[in-house]
Amino acid sequence: MKNVLVIGSGISGMSCAIHCAQKGMHVTLVSPFPSERSQSVMAAGGINAVLSENQEDDSIEIHIEDTLKGGAYIAGKKAVEGLCTDAGPIVKYLEGIGTVFSIDADGKPKYRAFGGQSRKRTYYCGASTGKQIVTALNMEVRRLEAAGQVERQLGTCFHSALIKDGVCYGALLFRETTGNLDAVYADAVVMATGGQNTIFGKTTGSTQCDGYAAGRLFEQGVVLKNLEFIQYHPTTLETSQKRMLISEAVRGEGGRLFYEENGKRVYFMEDKYGPGGNLQTRDVVSREIYATHKDVYLDISFLDAAVINERLPEVRDLCRKYRGIDITREPIPVAPSVHFFMGGIAVHNDHSTSVSNLYAVGECASIYHGANRLGGNSLLAAVHGGRVAAQAIDKLEAGGAHPSFDEFITKQQEKLAAVKEAQSTFAYANILNMLAHTMQEDLGIVRDEASLRNGLQQIDYYLSVADRIRYDSSVLAYFNYSLPGILTLARGVLTCALNREESRGAHYRSDCPDTDESFAHATLISYDGGRYRTWLDTEGEYES
Amino acid sequence: MKVKILRQTHPGAEPYWEEFIYDGPAESSIASVIDEINFRDDIVTADGKKTTRIGWECACLQGMCGACAMVINGVPALACETFVKDLKGDVITIRPLTKFPVIHDLLTDRSSIQENLKKTNIYIEKYDPDLAEDHEHQYLAAKCLKCGLCLEVCPNYTTGKTFFGAEFANDCYLVSVRNKGKEAQILKEYRDHFGNACSKSLSCMDVCPMNIPTLASIGKLYKKKFK
Repeated sequence: MKNVLVIGSGISGMSCAIHCAQKGMHVTLVSPFPSERSQSVMAAGGINAVLSENQEDDSIEIHIEDTLKGGAYIAGKKAVEGLCTDAGPIVKYLEGIGTVFSIDADGKPKYRAFGGQSRKRTYYCGASTGKQIVTALNMEVRRLEAAGQVERQLGTCFHSALIKDGVCYGALLFRETTGNLDAVYADAVVMATGGQNTIFGKTTGSTQCDGYAAGRLFEQGVVLKNLEFIQYHPTTLETSQKRMLISEAVRGEGGRLFYEENGKRVYFMEDKYGPGGNLQTRDVVSREIYATHKDVYLDISFLDAAVINERLPEVRDLCRKYRGIDITREPIPVAPSVHFFMGGIAVHNDHSTSVSNLYAVGECASIYHGANRLGGNSLLAAVHGGRVAAQAIDKLEAGGAHPSFDEFITKQQEKLAAVKEAQSTFAYANILNMLAHTMQEDLGIVRDEASLRNGLQQIDYYLSVADRIRYDSSVLAYFNYSLPGILTLARGVLTCALNREESRGAHYRSDCPDTDESFAHATLISYDGGRYRTWLDTEGEYES
Repeated sequence: MKVKILRQTHPGAEPYWEEFIYDGPAESSIASVIDEINFRDDIVTADGKKTTRIGWECACLQGMCGACAMVINGVPALACETFVKDLKGDVITIRPLTKFPVIHDLLTDRSSIQENLKKTNIYIEKYDPDLAEDHEHQYLAAKCLKCGLCLEVCPNYTTGKTFFGAEFANDCYLVSVRNKGKEAQILKEYRDHFGNACSKSLSCMDVCPMNIPTLASIGKLYKKKFK
C-alpha cells in the first residue's frame, strides 16, 4: 500500500488526505494543532463555481477568463481551466459530505457577487464558509480514521524534508511532547502549510501560518515562485495583535472611504473614479489609501441602523468588540493589510514540485492566482489542489527502500541541540518583530529599488545572527529552529520583488509603474548555499 | 493592575502562581495582555523576579478558532474575546482549563475531544439529510470550535471518559439530521455519553463563544427518541 505523508490539516491538507485515502492509500496527516485551529476556518466569503443548472448567464469559460484577468495573465491557462471546470463538482462534493451551505427556498445552495468577478458565482455558508467546510471535511477524515486509512498526528511540526538526488523520501518531524526529531518515510509528501503571515507580523490571517515550511524547503533546494505577489486587503481595522478584516460587503452596501482635511471630508475614491470609486479592486483601493498618507475612514453610518444590523452584523460586532466603535454612528478607521500570498512553492499543474515525490497544495503552493487572486478562489483552489495532487500521487510507483539519511538526521539533531544551548542577546521574538517591521516598510503596497535593497541589507543582518540566538525554553522549540527558514524565505520575497522591474497585479513598483510585457511570466527563484537565483518561467516549466 | 497566572513547566509538574504588573490599556484583550508580558525585554514578576515567557496557544486572535481557551477570573473564556475593561476588581487571575491535562502553563491537551468523537463514530457516512429539519440550527451546530469551554464549565463533565459534554451533543445532532440512516446509532451514542447524564444546568450555553443553542440540540434529539 502506498504511504502518503500530508503536512498541514487545513482544508487543502484534509482534501488531499481524504482523496488519497479514497484511492486506497494510507495517509499520515500531521499538524501542530487540530483542523479547527487552521486558518481555513477564517475564510468567510465563499467558494466560486459555475453550476450550469443554476447560473444561466455564466459559464466556466467566463470564470476562467475572470481568474486569468484577475491574475494579470500570468497564471497557467490549463491549470486555471482545470480549477474552474472542477469548481461545480467541488461544490456538489462539499454539499454531499454535509457542508451546511446557505440554501434557497428549494434547498439549493445560494450564491452571491464577490470582488473582481463579472458574474455572481460565489457559493457560501453564511459568514463562515471556511469553518463550515472544515467541519464537513473533518468528519470525512474522522470516518477514514475509523476505517484505518488515515492516521492523524497532532502536536507535530515540520522540520525538514528528507531529500536526496532530487527525490523526496519523507520528512523530519518535531514532536513537541517528546522533544524528538522523528524521520517519517513516505512514497509521497504533501505540503499544506498555508501562507507566510509571520514575515509581515500583523496581518489578517492566523499566527500559525509563518512560511517556515516553504522557507526550509527553499533552503533544501526546492524552487519557489511569484513571491513578490502579495495581496493587500484595503480595509482592515488595527488592533493590538492583528489587523481585522472589514468585509468588502461594507463598500458593497454603499460604504464610503474618506480622509479629513481642514475639517472637511475628502471622498478620494469617488473624486478620482466616480460614483463607483469605493468598489474598485483590492489592489487599486489599497494603493489609493496608501497614497493619501492620511488616516482613512470607511463610513456606513448614514445607512439606517436596522439595515446595518440585518446586512452587516459581523462587521458591527467586530468593530464594537475589538475597538468599541459603533458603526451605525461613527466611521471605521481602516488601512490596508497583507491578506493573501499568491506566491509560494512552485508546482506543476499536477501540484508536484521541483523535487520528485514532493507536492504542495493550498496557500503554500503558487498556482492558479497569477499576480492577484479573485475573492472566492482560495477555498476553491484549496479543495481542488488536494484532489489534483491525490490523482497525481495515485499514478506514482510505490517506492521501494529509501537511502540512508542517518548522517543528515544526526546533523539536524545536533543543530537543534546547539540551538537549545546557544547564548545570545537576541530572542527569536525580537528578530521576528524586526523582520516584520522591515517587510512592512520596505516591501509595502508600493515598492522601489532603494527600499527593497535596504530590506535585503537588513535581512542579511538578521540572518547573520539567526543561528546564534538565545534558545527560549519557555516557548515551543519550533519557534527557535524555524527562524532561519523564515528569514531565508523573506529574503527570497524581497529578491523576487527587486527583479520584477515592472508593475503587475499586486506588485507595484513606483520606479517602474508600467506593466512590461517582457515580464508577462511567473518569477521562479532557487537557493543554493546563500545564492538566490531568479528567472522568468517563459517556457511554462511549472504551471502551464 | 495585577495579573496572576497559574504556571506549570511541564506535564505532571507542580503548578505555581506568578504575579505580573500590567499597565496597558483597559481596552486590551487578555490575549493581548499575555502578549504584552511575553514581549517585554525582561520578563519579571510583580516582585521583580526574572522569569520565563508564558506558554499559551493562539491562532486567529478573533474568536474563530478556539485555541486560546482558558479560565479568566474563574470563568472559562477565550482570551482573545475577554477584555480587561469588562473584568471586575484590580486583579486578573488566569489559569489553564482544569478538565484537560496541562502541557505547559496555559496550554492544555484537548485531544480527548477529538478522540471521543472518533471512538463513537460521530461522522456522516452517507449524506441523506432530513429536509424538514431547521437549517439554521445545523449551521450553528457546525460552527463548534471544539475549544472545550463547554466541558470546562459543565458540572457533569469530569474526565471525559464516559460523559462527553455539549460539543458531543451538538455533533450528534448534526450527524443525525444530515445522515438520517445513522440516526438510531447516533441516538444510542448520544444516550450513553450525554443524554443519560446531563443535568441540564445549561452553563455550556453561557460560555459558548459561538452561541450554539445546545438546549435546542438536546430538545431535537429528545423528540427523535420518542418519535
